[in-house]
Amino acid sequence: MAFVNLTNVTYKYPLTQTPALQNINLRVEEGEFVALIGPNGAGKSTLCYTLAGFVPHFFKGELTGSVEVAGMQTNQSSLHEWVLNAGLVFQNPFNQISGAKYTVFEEIAFGLENIGVPRDEMKVRVEEAMRLTGISDLADRSPYSLSGGQQQRVALTSILVMQPKVLVLDEPTSQLDPIGTREVFGVIRTMAERGMTVIMAEHKVEWIANFADRVIALHEGQILLDGTPREVLTSDILLDKGFGISRYTSVARRARTLGLWKREGLPVTLEEAAEGFKNA
Amino acid sequence: MNDRLSFYRKRNSPVHALNPFTKLILVSALIFYGLTAKGFWTATLMVAFVLLPLALASKLLKEYVGVALKVILPTAGFMFVMQSVFIPGGTTEIFRLGFISVELETVQRSYLIASRIFLFISAFVLLLLTTHPSELMSDLTRRGLPPQFAYVIISTLQIIPQMQAKAQTIIAAQRSRGLDTESSFFKRAGLLVPLVGPLVFGSLVEVEERAIAIEARGFTSTRTKTFLHDIPDTPADKFIRWTLTLFIIISLAARLWLS
Repeated sequence: MAFVNLTNVTYKYPLTQTPALQNINLRVEEGEFVALIGPNGAGKSTLCYTLAGFVPHFFKGELTGSVEVAGMQTNQSSLHEWVLNAGLVFQNPFNQISGAKYTVFEEIAFGLENIGVPRDEMKVRVEEAMRLTGISDLADRSPYSLSGGQQQRVALTSILVMQPKVLVLDEPTSQLDPIGTREVFGVIRTMAERGMTVIMAEHKVEWIANFADRVIALHEGQILLDGTPREVLTSDILLDKGFGISRYTSVARRARTLGLWKREGLPVTLEEAAEGFKNA
Repeated sequence: MNDRLSFYRKRNSPVHALNPFTKLILVSALIFYGLTAKGFWTATLMVAFVLLPLALASKLLKEYVGVALKVILPTAGFMFVMQSVFIPGGTTEIFRLGFISVELETVQRSYLIASRIFLFISAFVLLLLTTHPSELMSDLTRRGLPPQFAYVIISTLQIIPQMQAKAQTIIAAQRSRGLDTESSFFKRAGLLVPLVGPLVFGSLVEVEERAIAIEARGFTSTRTKTFLHDIPDTPADKFIRWTLTLFIIISLAARLWLS
C-alpha cells in the first residue's frame, strides 16, 4: 500500500458547479519528492489542501473518493488530528505567522503547545528544527521583523517541528525574492534528502527539474501527465496549455527546428542543455 | 515597530516576579476598593501610597510617572474641568462666569470621579508595564480562559501596527493614482472609501489564510495544552491573592452592614 493514496477523488467547493478536482488517482511512496505543476486554476492549491485535510474539513464542499495518508483516511479523522499526518506550508509567509507570539522561538513552539508536548521535549524539538532549517540565530527576533524568506523558513520550521509524515507545500516561494527563494528551496531540499515525503506545488520548473523525483502536471482539475521530471517537463502536451516550461527546454526545442539540436530527448536543466549543445 | 503597542518593560523586580494572575487580582482589588470606598480622598491616597510605591518597587517609577502625566492626567483633568463647569446641581457657588456657575458640590463630585478614573487607568498601566502580555494570556489560559479569547487579544495587539503600515501603503497607492488627500474636509472624508475597502476586504482574505495557518499548527487540538514558558506561581502568590480576596469581601461586607 502506498504511503499517500488518493482514489477517484473529485471535489467541488461550496456554491460552485464545476469540480476543482476530477477523478484524481495518485499514489506516492514514502520518501518520494513529488512536484505539482499546472497553470493557475488547474487545481494545484486544491490538491494541496486535500492532502493536508483542509478539503473537506475546513472548506466544506463535496468530496468523493478516498484520501489516505499513512494508513489514515481524511473523512474518518478530524482536522486537528490530520495536521499531524500532513503539514501544510502555503504562499504568503506573513499570513502564516500566528500573531500570538513575540519571538521566533515561541512562534515555532506554538504548534507543540497546542498538541500538548511536554516543556522539556518541546525545547529540544524547537532547537533541533531550527538548527535543521538554519534559523537558530533568529530565535529571539520578533517574527514580524523578519524578511519574507526568513518568515517563510520560520513557517516551514513551525510545521516541521510538529513532525508530520508528509510535507505539503503550496508554492512556498511564489512571494519571495531570489535570495528568499534560494533559502527556502535549500531547506526543502534538505528535508527531501533526509527522506521526508514532500509534495510541492511549484512554478519554478528549472528548480523542480533538478531536485524532484517525480512531476505531476495538473490541468483543469485532472492529472494530465505523471512521470519523471524529464518525461513531463519536455512533453509537447504542455505547450499550448499555459504551463511554465524550462527555458533550456524551450531553447533546445527551437534549436531542434533549426537542426541545431541533434539529441533524441530535450533537456530540462542547464547541464543537460550545455552537454547537448557541446556535441552539436 | 512590533513592540509599539506593548507597554511591557523588562526589569528584575519583585513586582515583575509575581504571577500575572496575582497582579491581575491586585489591580482588580485596588480598582474595586477605590471605586466602592466612601472616603473622598481614598482614590487619591491609593495612587500616592499604593501605586507609586509599587511603581518604585518595580523600578519603573519614571515610566509610570511619564504615562501618568502624559496620558492619564490630561484625560482625567479634562473630565474634571468639563464636569465641574457644565454639570449643574450644587448650591454653594464658588464663582460665576457669564451664564456658567461653578458650585463647590459639583467640583467635589467631579474630583471624586476624576481621581477614581486616574486610579483605574494607572493601576492597569502598572499591570501592563510589569507583565508581558503573552505571559498574562498563557497564565490565564492555563487557568481556564478559552485559548481563542487569549489568541484574539494577543494577535490584535500584534496586528494593529501591521494594519497601520498597510493603510499607509494603500493611501500611497491611491495617491499615486491621483487621489486627492490634501483638500477640503469633505473631500478627505470621501477618501475613506477607497482606503477602507481594500483594507477591510484584504483583511477578510487574510483571516481565512491565518485560520488555515493556525489550524495547521493544531490550534483546535483537543489535547491538553502545554506552555513553553514556566510561569511561576509561588505560595506567596497564593497568599497575596487570598489576602486580597478576603480584604475585598470584608470591605464589601463592612459597607453593606455599616451603612
